[in-house]
Amino acid sequence: MATLKDFRGDQPTWCPGCGHFSVMSSLQKAAVDLGIEPHEMGVISGIGCSGKISEYTRAYGFHTLHGRALPVAQGAALGNKDVKIIASGGDGDGYGIGIGHFIHAVRRNIDITYLVMDNHIYGLTKGQTSPTSSQGFISKTSPKGSSEQPIQPLETALVNGISFLAQGFSGNIKQLNELVKAAIQHKGFALVNVFSPCVTFNKVNTYDFYKENLIDIGAIEGYDVNNRGKVIEKIRETNGLLTGILYQEEKATFEELTPEFPEASIAKQNLHLDVNVLKAIEKQFQ
Amino acid sequence: MKKYLMKGNEAIAEAAIQAGCRFYFGYPITPSTEIIEYMARKMQQVGGTFLQAESEIAAIYMVFGASGSGKRVMTASSSTGISLKQEGLSFLAANELPAVIVNIMRTGPGLGGLGATQADYFQATKGGGHGDYRLIVLAPNSVQEMTDLIMDGFDLADIYRNPVMILADGILGQMMEPVIFKEPEKIEIDKSWATTGANGRKRNIITSYNLHNEAGEEKALYLEQKYKGIKEQEQRWEEYHMEDAEYVFVAYGTSARIVKGAVDQLRKEGNKVGLIRPITLWPFPEKAFIPLLNRIKGYMVVEMSAGQMVEDVKLNVNGAAPVAFYSRQGGITPQPEEIIEKFNNSYHKGGEQ
Ligand SMILES: Cc1ncc(C[n+]2csc(CCOP(=O)(O)OP(=O)(O)O)c2C)c(N)n1
Ligand code: SF4
Repeated sequence: MATLKDFRGDQPTWCPGCGHFSVMSSLQKAAVDLGIEPHEMGVISGIGCSGKISEYTRAYGFHTLHGRALPVAQGAALGNKDVKIIASGGDGDGYGIGIGHFIHAVRRNIDITYLVMDNHIYGLTKGQTSPTSSQGFISKTSPKGSSEQPIQPLETALVNGISFLAQGFSGNIKQLNELVKAAIQHKGFALVNVFSPCVTFNKVNTYDFYKENLIDIGAIEGYDVNNRGKVIEKIRETNGLLTGILYQEEKATFEELTPEFPEASIAKQNLHLDVNVLKAIEKQFQ
Repeated sequence: MKKYLMKGNEAIAEAAIQAGCRFYFGYPITPSTEIIEYMARKMQQVGGTFLQAESEIAAIYMVFGASGSGKRVMTASSSTGISLKQEGLSFLAANELPAVIVNIMRTGPGLGGLGATQADYFQATKGGGHGDYRLIVLAPNSVQEMTDLIMDGFDLADIYRNPVMILADGILGQMMEPVIFKEPEKIEIDKSWATTGANGRKRNIITSYNLHNEAGEEKALYLEQKYKGIKEQEQRWEEYHMEDAEYVFVAYGTSARIVKGAVDQLRKEGNKVGLIRPITLWPFPEKAFIPLLNRIKGYMVVEMSAGQMVEDVKLNVNGAAPVAFYSRQGGITPQPEEIIEKFNNSYHKGGEQ
């Protein structure tokens, strides 16, 4: 059985207090709790401070390019279904430059987990407005306040048919660990959006801000995790400041719906064709 | 005129505004982010439009759209972001839309790192996008020259109705040097092609779609003629100690600055060496080489790449003399001593080239 130590990769260079630490330890602990070994997990990240998670976690990894973690993750998942694929990145990465891929990954429902470290800012490039920054947000690229409305990742995921949606907070690592675990166990595309404060460049969406404003769905009477319409309503009512498993349903995956999807992992198949098979193919052209 | 001490990237942005650029669309990326941040602060103050796009692809097509208005527009990025813009560059060129695109290079291929590099020469000069098109590519080697070339770049873009790329590296983008902003030249340019919403004239339509081969060839020949004209008119280079040179270095941008030091040192040691510094990378300054072919004993190209511009130098030297090559890569700058050693090994010890 692997222990937490087995999942520790390179020494992190994140700023002390960065929310991304909690996301990474939640993932590593989830893997240990679920009995996953490092060689059975692939962490596929985009570019941003968040993207470094694939260097800092000792598992298989792709540190890909800005905005493209999801297509790479889907390709990897289809190539080897015996490896648990965790895609990961920031809000800029996934909801800005990568938003097109996000919507398609949601509707396609390939069996992967997507962890987004949402700090409402571009951390790695030192503090510019991100697609989740609030209207009026002041940064180096919106010195007088952003004119744009933020994107709504939770609603976007829901209207496009997501089968598992959770939201956590780096300040509540115990819950976050449970959410990541549930996401990995879910069959299909599972999103965990995490409020993961950037302590260096975002002085608005801080730990204190989230501590004061987040509502856990456990505290909401009659919350129905299977009712897509009602969940969207609740998200709108609360400006998306909810935590917990927000929506869940059992739904056939891309793999299940694809006719003759290979039983055994493609990566492990013997691709040397039998001479008789080749001869049969040849015959078709005669 | 007033002198300012400015970072290269900020000088680029200021020069663009002074040249009349009123649209900026960009996406942050190191080491060019200061350009977008400067534009965010300044563009509104001069009555222009600034927008941080969702990606470099969005940014280049916003450039495409805004350029159609006939007003001056710019975007900037660094290597991997410039790769994303390649489709748009092909379209800008095909639709003959003027724009200035700045590439403050970072290392590649792939994500690479932030050190100085010149690995995007091929992409910039040979066309990273599809089809037969050309960018005018300008390569400054100081903060002052960055500002001058930005201003000239807007003029060239308008005159030829063609995208212009400024190709520089992280050292030039990040370093601080004194700079004077020259008064932008006032040039008269016909922009009757622009989609200005005017009434009572034939409609202007911006398109590069063409399904008839005959018309396709006509357009291709027209563009070819235009590029030939640019090649004839716009080659620029600097000569350093070329009067009596027997051996010639060829280098651009940051490499050329370093080579100048090596030339000075080699001259002190009694070598008749000079430097040709291409300022236009496309059109490549072929004219600089013509008078040299009978007299130069050897050339040496210094680049921060595995050897890209050296191909153009060889093409123009055309076997008239040996062409040696020295480079450092992956973010490391070549040092004058290394260049001198390579030169001596190539031309004084009868050794390798
Ligand atoms: C194509 C491309 N464009 C831009 C960049 C520069 N860049 C790197 S990370 C980043 C944004 C980081 O923000 P986010 O994704 O929210 O992650 P964080 O750093 O906040 O964790 C940008 C713009 C890049 N690496 N590649
Ligand atoms: S800059 Fe922000 S997001 Fe990046 S490591 Fe530091 S705190 Fe975290």
